[in-house]
Amino acid sequence: MIEIEGLTRRFGEVTAVDGLTLTIGEGEVFGLLGPNGAGKTTTVRMLACLISRTAGQARIAGHCIGDAAAARKVRSLIGLMPEEPGLYPDLSAVKTLDFYGRLYRVPGAVRAERTERLLTLLGLWGRRDAQVKTYSKGMRQRLALARALIHDPPVLFLDEPTANLDPEGAKIVRDFLAELRNDKRTILLNTHLLEEANRICDRVGVLANRLVAVGSPAELRRSVWGSATVVRLAEVTGPVEEAARKAGSGDIGVAGNVLTVPVADPQRDNPELVRAIVEAGGQVQFVSESVPTLEEAYLRLIGGRR
Amino acid sequence: MNYRNVATIAAKDMGIVLTRRSVRLSLVLLPLGVAIGLPQVARFAGGGIPAGLLPGFLTAFLFFFAVTAAMLPVAIASYSLVGEKVERSLEPLLATPATDGEILLGKGIAAFAPPIAAIWIGGVVFMALSDQETHARLGHAYFPNATALLILGVFVPLMAILSVEYSVLVSARSTDVRAAQQAGTLILLPAAALYVLAEIGAVTLDPATLAVAAGILAGIDLAMAFASRATFRREEILTRWA
Repeated sequence: MIEIEGLTRRFGEVTAVDGLTLTIGEGEVFGLLGPNGAGKTTTVRMLACLISRTAGQARIAGHCIGDAAAARKVRSLIGLMPEEPGLYPDLSAVKTLDFYGRLYRVPGAVRAERTERLLTLLGLWGRRDAQVKTYSKGMRQRLALARALIHDPPVLFLDEPTANLDPEGAKIVRDFLAELRNDKRTILLNTHLLEEANRICDRVGVLANRLVAVGSPAELRRSVWGSATVVRLAEVTGPVEEAARKAGSGDIGVAGNVLTVPVADPQRDNPELVRAIVEAGGQVQFVSESVPTLEEAYLRLIGGRR
Repeated sequence: MNYRNVATIAAKDMGIVLTRRSVRLSLVLLPLGVAIGLPQVARFAGGGIPAGLLPGFLTAFLFFFAVTAAMLPVAIASYSLVGEKVERSLEPLLATPATDGEILLGKGIAAFAPPIAAIWIGGVVFMALSDQETHARLGHAYFPNATALLILGVFVPLMAILSVEYSVLVSARSTDVRAAQQAGTLILLPAAALYVLAEIGAVTLDPATLAVAAGILAGIDLAMAFASRATFRREEILTRWA
């Protein structure tokens, strides 16, 4: 659905996005992770035909983003939720969606039906006729999400959709995004909230002006850390530690009576590891997989680039 | 150009801007003040003006509507453009299939139409009251005439268009509605200067002079149209306006 090849954008001497190459499949939820200034918003703006690219190419549903004639078509395929909700304070939720629905040429009856459905799903129907300036931050964010969906776009670009929201507001938006996954909609989610990406995204890419890594959250974690096995013992003795070091594939960690042992292939290596520990006199209580968080993987990836 | 998009944007902008009391008041009070106030000058001071000079005064008074036409659209265009900038609502609007030209034209119409309607109503009231006050001394109704038609039908719209275009340029560099309005009012200086020159008799606002002035103004409008169109581009707005 989205094919990006060597996409680059420079602002004077500054390269905001450098040679981004990526393919996002139909119905996939892809998270673009990165710190502020990593080029996430610039990427979305280029893909939404809002700003031009310096080099490279991208296609949305087969339409080239640099093609002026296709720009209107591309924009009609995309629902954009920018970082700032960007709503009209004097309009109500219904009038806001009606206005955007008209610009996207959604027929009147469909517009009305979709407005009711979206506002109901996002918990705004009860306040549909109140002016947006009376809304809380979370309500505005939800309305901005409804606006992005009023034309039922096959592609959705969400730029930090839960930024600056309180935990309750963020949860409502996140739950709604999780529901959107079922619609087979292609979603590009810009976020620096790793837990959000972990929960919602099929794959994530770490962007630091260049694409540093890409994969499923689990793949990303493993690609940085490899696999490790955590063994809890009655007591960690010198011979046990030595046996674990020989059976593992790197430096082991010892914390109290817990050993963390890097292994190349857990299924192949773990039986050998346990046998070695037992033969060295160790009493094994638990064996489990060490799971680094996405945050740890991200920090290591970003740290390596900065 | 999709005119449905233009109409949708213009209707939305008019709906928002006209909810502002200050805009509504300026749209009503300024043209109405001119329409009612200036004929009273002819009424109370007219006796001291020789009948032969009265038409010149009336025409100059009517030309004040051109000054008003430079002033009023600035107030609306500033709300429409800088207001969107402040609320950061331009990005979602630019993300719709509407083209830059459609958005600009929609906003231009929203800033142009209400002042023009208010000025035309004010102009009709002014002409009726002026005729009432001066009919006995002139022996005929002075208005309507070709000069009035040129001022209200040509000069006022051209001045309002210039005001809108100038507001686009000013708004690109402003982050505050009031600052944009203040900077925008500079555009009324040429029209005000012409008004003063007409009042002191340095310029005669006859149809020929007005036609030449309107031609020059149309040329400036055209040049400003290109300048404002070049300023109001997605790329410019998202990378330089902020």
